[in-house]
Amino acid sequence: MLRLAASLLLALPVLAASGCASVKPWERDVLARSDMAWEPDPLEAKRNTHIHYSKEASLPGGGAGGGGCGCN
Amino acid sequence: MSGRRFGSRRGAAALVLAIGLFVGGAAPAADVGQTAPEFKALALDGGKSISLAAYRGKVVYLDFWASWCPPCLTSLPLLEKLRKEFPSDQFQILAVNVDQDTDKARKFLERTRVGYPSATDPKGRIPETYGIETMPTSFLIDRNGVIRYVHHGFRKGDVGPLRERIKELVAARKK
Repeated sequence: MLRLAASLLLALPVLAASGCASVKPWERDVLARSDMAWEPDPLEAKRNTHIHYSKEASLPGGGAGGGGCGCN
Repeated sequence: MSGRRFGSRRGAAALVLAIGLFVGGAAPAADVGQTAPEFKALALDGGKSISLAAYRGKVVYLDFWASWCPPCLTSLPLLEKLRKEFPSDQFQILAVNVDQDTDKARKFLERTRVGYPSATDPKGRIPETYGIETMPTSFLIDRNGVIRYVHHGFRKGDVGPLRERIKELVAARKK
């Protein structure tokens, strides 16, 4: 019984992960839209980074993958 | 004891299989030295269908582009200029547009006219076959249908080295 429960527990993340789909480079049409970018306004983002650096003496993280064209 | 060992082996094999299923899903990419995979697709302008086979005997620059990809849009007018530098019976550019909304691509081509044909592949079957990793990607194919160079991305300065590669292939005789 315990073994079955452990197997199910292991299988669940595998099943959940199989639902994740990677976006192919030629499928980034919607992601390439400017409103899908993490920082739609590059100037505003630069200003915020500057303020953060001035106040905290550290640079924030550079964002994460997801939005954007992914070109070049 | 041996039963438990057998069980753990089975577990390890299942784990390897599971990882393999996740990691090993990528299609093999078309690469330098390989014959360019054949394809036939509808023309973006609604004209005759376009096939790579029809260009055999000429040097072909196969360009994958989309209207949402800024470097692709930079490349189109520059490629058009490049195309005109070579005789049409020696060198041709063949484009494959991968826009899911083909109207966007058509509208772009209305504004930026190019003299070479674009096939449309909204479902992305051709880029899948070619194993495209970034947009834009282009393949320089020799007269025998063999991929001789793969170009990833596009910047204005790329035209010069590209011209030299094309010159080299145009000068080479068909086997």
